[in-house]
Amino acid sequence: MTAADHEIQEMAREEAGDCLDRIERNLLAFESGAAEPDAIDATFRDAHSIKGTASMVGWQEISSIAHAMEDQLSECRETGEFPVELADPMLRATDALRRALAGEEVAVDAVVAQLDAGPSPGTDRAPEKADAAGSNGDQGSGAAASPPTQRSIRVAAQKVDKMLDAVGETALHHRRLEHMLGERRSAGDDVAEEELDLGERLISDLQDSVLGLRTLPLSSITTPFPRAIRDLAAGEGKEVELTISGAETQLDRAILDGIAEQITHLLRNAVAHGIELPDDRERAGKPRAGRLELRAEQRGSMVAIEVADDGRGVSPELLARAEREGSLTDLLAAPGFSTAEQVGELAGRGVGLDSVRDHVEKLGGSLEVRSEPSRGSQAILLLPLTLALLEVLLCERGGQPFGLPVAAVKEVVAVTETTSLGGRPSVELRGEAVPLGDLAEMIGASAPELPDSPPAMILEAAARSVAVACDRVLGDQEVVVKGLGPVLAPIPGYLGAAILGDGRVALILDPSYLLKLPSRTGRAVARPTEAPEEAAPLVLVVDDQFTVRELQRSILETAGYRVDTARDGAEALERLSGNVTVDMVLTDIQMPQMDGFELLKAIRQSPDRSSLPVVIVTSQGGDDDRRRGIEEGADAYIVKEEFDQQALLETIGRLVGH
Amino acid sequence: MIGVYVRVRADGEDYALPVDGVLEVTELGDLAPVPGSAPEVLGVHNLRGQVIPVVDLGGMLGLDRGAERERVVVVEGRDARLGLAVDSVVEVGGLPPPSEGAESDYLMGAALVDGQLVGIVDLEALLGALVVGSSA
Repeated sequence: MTAADHEIQEMAREEAGDCLDRIERNLLAFESGAAEPDAIDATFRDAHSIKGTASMVGWQEISSIAHAMEDQLSECRETGEFPVELADPMLRATDALRRALAGEEVAVDAVVAQLDAGPSPGTDRAPEKADAAGSNGDQGSGAAASPPTQRSIRVAAQKVDKMLDAVGETALHHRRLEHMLGERRSAGDDVAEEELDLGERLISDLQDSVLGLRTLPLSSITTPFPRAIRDLAAGEGKEVELTISGAETQLDRAILDGIAEQITHLLRNAVAHGIELPDDRERAGKPRAGRLELRAEQRGSMVAIEVADDGRGVSPELLARAEREGSLTDLLAAPGFSTAEQVGELAGRGVGLDSVRDHVEKLGGSLEVRSEPSRGSQAILLLPLTLALLEVLLCERGGQPFGLPVAAVKEVVAVTETTSLGGRPSVELRGEAVPLGDLAEMIGASAPELPDSPPAMILEAAARSVAVACDRVLGDQEVVVKGLGPVLAPIPGYLGAAILGDGRVALILDPSYLLKLPSRTGRAVARPTEAPEEAAPLVLVVDDQFTVRELQRSILETAGYRVDTARDGAEALERLSGNVTVDMVLTDIQMPQMDGFELLKAIRQSPDRSSLPVVIVTSQGGDDDRRRGIEEGADAYIVKEEFDQQALLETIGRLVGH
Repeated sequence: MIGVYVRVRADGEDYALPVDGVLEVTELGDLAPVPGSAPEVLGVHNLRGQVIPVVDLGGMLGLDRGAERERVVVVEGRDARLGLAVDSVVEVGGLPPPSEGAESDYLMGAALVDGQLVGIVDLEALLGALVVGSSA
C-alpha cells in the first residue's frame, strides 16, 4: 500500500467513525423518544455515506453491513417512523462496523441477517414516532435543509505543538526586546513604546489562536458515554437517565486524551454503586430512573468536570469516619478502598478512585468527592485548561527561581512565628495549624538559611495543606511548560521547566508532591517571636489580582500589620461594614464590579468612615488618574511601576502611625 | 582513521566524541540545578528556548577533580538530547584506531594521538545509562 493509499484509508476510517458517532446518537434518541424531527433522514444519510466510502476504498464487509442498515432506514423513511425495537439490532450493527473499521474480523452474514430479521416498520408493534409532522415536512428536502457544514482541515497534532513552541519562543524574544528597549521606553520614546505594545498584542493573539488549535470540546470524548451507560444500566437491571451539559467546554487535547477513561470510571461507579434498583428507588420515594449528570464548565483557568448521581450515596457511618480521618476524598481514594457490598464485574465504588486522583493530580488538577447518605454523590475533577501554558507563581530559594501552578496556591503569608505540631514546625492560619517546610529542604536542594519572616506559599488540595517557605515571591507569570526530558523525567516533584524572560530556567514544582511529603522535622524557618500585638493596625488590601493581593499582604504582614483582603470595591465595602475596625485601605483602581475610585467615593461619603486613610496603588500612571485620585480624596497614590516596598511602608506608616 | 571525532578536555584528560552524535558546542553559562537528580547532572540549560539537562562528562567517567567546566557539547541519542559539560574543546578531526582497552563502561577504548592517550566515548552506552538509570 502506498503512503497516499494509507492516507486515504485513514481519512475514510475517520469519516466513517464520525458517521457512526452520529448514527449511534440518533439511535439512542429514537429509543428514548427524544429524536430530532429529521433524525431518520440524517441516520439514513450517514449509513449511505459509510456504504459509499467503504465500497470506494474496497472494504466489502463494511459496505455490506452499511447497506443492510440503509435498507432498514429506507423503510423507516417511507413511513416516517422508527420502531424502537429496531434500535437494538441497529446498535449491534454499529458495533460490528466499529470492529470492522478497527480491522477486526466480523461475521457479516450474521449481522446482516439479524438486521433483516428486525421488525418491519409500521407493522403491529406500536412504533415510536420520531415526530410525524416534522419528518413528513422534511421528506425529500432533508439534504438541502441540513445546516451548512463548517469546513475543516485535519492537521497532525505534532505540527500544532511545533507552532506553539515557536510562539512561545517568540514571546520570550519579545520579553528580551522589552528588556533591551526598556530604557528608551522609560526615557519617553513613544515609537519604541507603541511598537512594543503592538508586538505584545500580536503575540498574545497568535498564542490564543494556536492554543485554540490544541483544544477540543469535551463533546469529542463524550460520544460513547450515553451508549455505555445504557448498556451498563440494562445489565444491572437499572434505569438511568444520563444528561450531559457543558459538552462544548474546550480542553487541551493532551488532557482530553486520558480523561475519558477517568470519566467513564466515575460514571460506571455511579451506575453500579450509586444508583439503586428501580424498586428500591420507588420505596425511597425517588423516581424509578436514576439521574446521572455529567457537567462541565470553565472556572477561570481551570475546567471543572462533575459527575453527579441521585443514588444512595455513602453510608452515614462512612461519612462520620471521613470527618474524623480527614476528608471523604482521601478516604475513598485510598488505595484498595471499596464500599461495594459484593465484588462483581464492576469496580467497587472506591476501587480505582486512587488512580483517577493520581491521573488528575499529574495533570496539575484535583479530585473532590462529596456525598450525602441516600441523596447521592458527586465527584468533581478540576483540570487545567491547557497543559502548554500555565500560570505560575514564581518564587526564589537559594538564588534559583521556582514556579508553582497558581491554581494550587491558596495564599502567601509572612511567617512571623511558628508553632510546634507534634514536634514539627507549623504556622497558624485562621486558627488552623498548617505544617511548614523550607522549599529547599522539601526538594532536597542546598540553600543558605531563610531570611527572617520569610514568605510562605500555602498549598492546598483535598483537605491537605502545607506552607512552603522561600526567600522571596517574585509574582505570577504565564509560562510555556516544557518537559524535562527522559533523563530527568523520573525524578519526582517536577511538572517541567519554563524559560523566564531573563533567560533563566525555572523548575515548575508539582504541588501534589510537596503536599504528600511528610512534614520534615527540619529547623524552624522563623525564630519564635511574640504574636503581633492586638493593636497592630489592620490594613484592607483591595485588588482583583491574586498575586498583587498576596504580595502586598506578605509585605505588610512582615512589617507587623494585620491584613485583610478584598477582590473589588464591593467586597471591600462589605468588609468595612462588618464589625472589624479597618485602619487603612490600600486599593487598586481597575477592578470588576466596583473600581477604586468608586470605592474611594463611597468611603468619603459615608458619615463614620469619611476620614479613613485610603492609598491607591495602580498601574495607571497618567496625570489625569492621579488628579482624579487626589480630587476624590485619596491620601496617597502609588504607581505599580515605581512600586517600592520601602516607599509603601513609609507611606502607610505615615498614615496610620505604626 | 576510524571517523571524525570532537576532542574535548575534561579534568586534564582528552576524550573523543563521535561527531555524528554531536549537535553543537556552546558556552556553559548559567545552569539551574535540579534537586533530587544524580550528582553527575549539573542542572538544566537554556539552549535557545529548549530545556536540556547538562551532565558532567568527567563525573560520568569517574574523574571529578574540580576543574573548570566552560563548554557544553550537545549530544543526541536514545531519544534524549543533553549537554556534556567539559573544560574545553580541543579540536575536531580524525582519530587512529584504538590501541588501548577501555577503563570505563562508557569508553570504547583509547587511541594515541601525538603522544597523548585519548579516550573514545561510547555515546550509546553513556546515554543508555543516563536514560534508564538516571538516579544510579
